[in-house]
Amino acid sequence: MNTAAMPFLVRFRNIGVLAVLLCLVVGAAALTPQHTFIGEANLKTLVALGSEFGIIALAVGVLMIAGEFDLSVGSVLALCAFVFAYAYPLVGSPFVAMLLAIVCGVAVGLIHGLLVVRARIVSFIATLGGMMTWRGLTQILSGGQMRNVAFDEHPLFVELFTGRVGGVVPAQFIWFVLFAAILYLVLNRGKFGNWIFATGDNAQAARAMAVDTDLVKVVCFVLVGFSVAFAAVLQTTRSTAFSTHMATGWELQAVAAAVVGGTSLRGGRGSMIGIFLGALVIIVMDNMVSQLRLAYEWTYVAFGLVILGAVLLDLMIEKRIQRAAVC
Amino acid sequence: MSASLSESPELLKMVGIHKYFGRVHALRGVDFSVKRGEVVGLCGDNGAGKSTLIKVASGYHCADAGQIFFEGREVKMNSPRDARALGIETVYQEQALCPHLSIARNIFLGREPTNSLGLIDRQTMNTDSMQALANLGLHLRSPDALVSALSGGQRQGVAIARAIHFQAKLVILDEPTIALSVKEVREVLDFVRHLRDKGVAAIFITHTLHHVFSVADRIVVIAHGTTLVDMPTRDTTVDDLSDIIARGTLGD
Repeated sequence: MNTAAMPFLVRFRNIGVLAVLLCLVVGAAALTPQHTFIGEANLKTLVALGSEFGIIALAVGVLMIAGEFDLSVGSVLALCAFVFAYAYPLVGSPFVAMLLAIVCGVAVGLIHGLLVVRARIVSFIATLGGMMTWRGLTQILSGGQMRNVAFDEHPLFVELFTGRVGGVVPAQFIWFVLFAAILYLVLNRGKFGNWIFATGDNAQAARAMAVDTDLVKVVCFVLVGFSVAFAAVLQTTRSTAFSTHMATGWELQAVAAAVVGGTSLRGGRGSMIGIFLGALVIIVMDNMVSQLRLAYEWTYVAFGLVILGAVLLDLMIEKRIQRAAVC
Repeated sequence: MSASLSESPELLKMVGIHKYFGRVHALRGVDFSVKRGEVVGLCGDNGAGKSTLIKVASGYHCADAGQIFFEGREVKMNSPRDARALGIETVYQEQALCPHLSIARNIFLGREPTNSLGLIDRQTMNTDSMQALANLGLHLRSPDALVSALSGGQRQGVAIARAIHFQAKLVILDEPTIALSVKEVREVLDFVRHLRDKGVAAIFITHTLHHVFSVADRIVVIAHGTTLVDMPTRDTTVDDLSDIIARGTLGD
């Protein structure tokens, strides 16, 4: 019997994602006209925008390991950005405005979590409702208008969230890596991480061992809300503007990143390293399509194929595990 | 009085247990007991009330009437947590484990040891898991192997090892041999013998009399919500008992 089957496949899985990522990067660098993909201007946007997305994808991945979905992250980002952009002139401090945006994101996460564990609405549907509600609400509250926000008087804030470490590495990327490192520790070395895996794998067994699976799920929804609010602040600060169309389509891209990174759609399986790499794959693909000057619609086709491929691979791995168990 | 009670040979003693579900009188004054270190086989046809009785003993159901004594003291159990605090662990088949978690993570689920930084102490978790399995006579290659890679018998072993590692005095095994191959059944029966050798009592619930006959010290048969048979295993035979269970009465 091959008891080592699964750890090997997990490792293999992450190496596979890494290989895909490297191929994409090399391909993009070679194929884009005048190699604009590796041009400084593009890399700047790529890493900054990508990190904002990546922070959200990490949290969505953790929620998926707990066995739930969040399809509302793009809309919640717009709502949190609205709170941040409108509160800032009122309170005067971007830090206080940021805190309010985070309170908003956490509250939305809490609402989603309670809809799932208390009202027993399937998370897919609960957050699909959220996706429409929060975007609509943001449009009503803002009158559909863009709003510019200037942070010139607060260089510390700007430096902290959009600056460059050592003049090269964008601060957003440092935050992205920091989020990934903390979540890695929580998932792999924390008690709570073990409960997240158990909740997604077999909630009944977890409850029998006195794990409060409802609490685990609500905390994961709140984590998503927190990450979305954080990304909303990063994006508003970088672009110095709020618009109702911010982060449109990110909900499915975040799920795609997690799936590409080896997270099971049925919960209970996934890794932080995999999700991190999966997020990078999605970021590079998204950027590549625009740099190749393809029509934007092609990103949808590309993402669709990538998700299908990842799920097929996942099914194959699952079958291998089953077979390893039999012999 | 209390001194003599605490020395009572009975680990678990249930007296006159009644349980209603709406108008269904599922348990009609059942008496049931388990001595220290004893393996009791609990049999009965479907719907006889044996699983209801077990759910009362493991804290999932509250009895509507009757008394429960554990180690000579009367106890009230309102949740599985209460039962576990007393030292009663229930092992449900299959659904008891998380297939994609490692053996060690399953054994310590909900009770993970942590170091001073609040991180899981993997060293302790791994060595203790292997030790707990070895105590059952189960030698697996690695505590990091996933439960999904184990055979059905080995999974039962992991679930039982978890129960005794946390100082269970009484382990309730709910149909532990159902859906297992002949070889795996033999493994599980060996685990139960190891349990008895360690002085841990067990209630072994099964439909298959041959399995329970080879390990149980005493057999209890429940029918129509009452105790029909309660006798030492050596005083009866598989044929006699299967006859009684099928008819649901003692008389002819």
